[in-house]
Amino acid sequence: MMQAEITPAAIALVGLLTALFLHDFVTLARNRRLLLLQLVVFAIGGTLIVYPEIARRLAHFVGIGRGVDFVLYPLVIWLVRESLLSRRRRHDEQERVTELVRAFAASGAHEVVQSRDRAPAHSSGPSAS
Amino acid sequence: MPAFNEEGRLARTLEELASQLSSQLRRGVVGQADVTVFLVDDGSRLPIDEDAVRAVATGLRVVFARHAVNLGQGAALETARRLALQPRWQPVAGPFDAFVTMDSDGQHQPSDVLALAGAIAAGADVALGDRFAGGSDVPTSRRVLLMMARLFERATTGLNLSDVHNGLRAFGPRAIERMQIRQNRMAHATEISRSISRASAERAADDRLRVVEVPVSVRYTGESLAKGQRASGAVAIVVDLFHGFLFSPHEPREPR
Repeated sequence: MMQAEITPAAIALVGLLTALFLHDFVTLARNRRLLLLQLVVFAIGGTLIVYPEIARRLAHFVGIGRGVDFVLYPLVIWLVRESLLSRRRRHDEQERVTELVRAFAASGAHEVVQSRDRAPAHSSGPSAS
Repeated sequence: MPAFNEEGRLARTLEELASQLSSQLRRGVVGQADVTVFLVDDGSRLPIDEDAVRAVATGLRVVFARHAVNLGQGAALETARRLALQPRWQPVAGPFDAFVTMDSDGQHQPSDVLALAGAIAAGADVALGDRFAGGSDVPTSRRVLLMMARLFERATTGLNLSDVHNGLRAFGPRAIERMQIRQNRMAHATEISRSISRASAERAADDRLRVVEVPVSVRYTGESLAKGQRASGAVAIVVDLFHGFLFSPHEPREPR
């Protein structure tokens, strides 16, 4: 039987997880699926904090020295990937906004100054833009 | 001509351009009916006063568009480029012979606009303004920044240009279609250099663009220096280029 390790750090971390979940429970009340996923992830996290022996045994099983590294390695990989995906999404969004703003600008484009002589000319000249 | 919070500077620039063109008109160098200014207000805090433009741009044909929000100089130039390629805004006689980009803050001389257009008329596909050959009084800090930019461009695009970040450029019809700008902010200058580099090294000789540099004069004033690029902007340019490299498709694509 594994023993729970209730240290001040474990209490602080579990408290943080609970506070975050309660905050999201109030602000994301309509997004039940996201809340459920968060509840599962936080429950796993909380269990690993209170019972670090689980992480230690899993780490030894896959050949990693410390239980904390077993959690940390995939977490870092996931965070880097998430950061890149988020930057790409922002980049794509920015491109879409640019095209939207440009389409509005083009549809509203108009001549401010009518030239005095718009008769057909013999040669075409430069445009300054 | 992109404009962002230029206010009085824009009016002075347009007035000067109109005056310069009318003197060239009198000499028969250009035909008035076919010179068009594509003015893009890039979401200025105070929208450009069209009556003020009308009052100063005597005899100029000005096509005006406004971005609802500020996107950046590159985005404004791309909007102007697309407008200039639309048949709706082309002169009665047919497509434009030359497309010139210039700043609206009064740094660029209207006479240089005509010099660049003249280089296109003489057979070049791309004419780039060279402020160092044109006797501009470039402040030392700006000179150092531009020298670093030149080395960066040379390393990343292979182009050995004298003045890579000069907004005074001209393109012929063959070139303008290949100059799609996807970088909204100041990194567009490097993007243009890359497009020029790619297009001037095409395998088929007929597809290659002919690039020339034309001496131009850039006027530095306290206002223009305060509003211009700074060293910190160089970092933003590199970050934007890196994002473009990571997230944009390799080949530029025109929107459907």
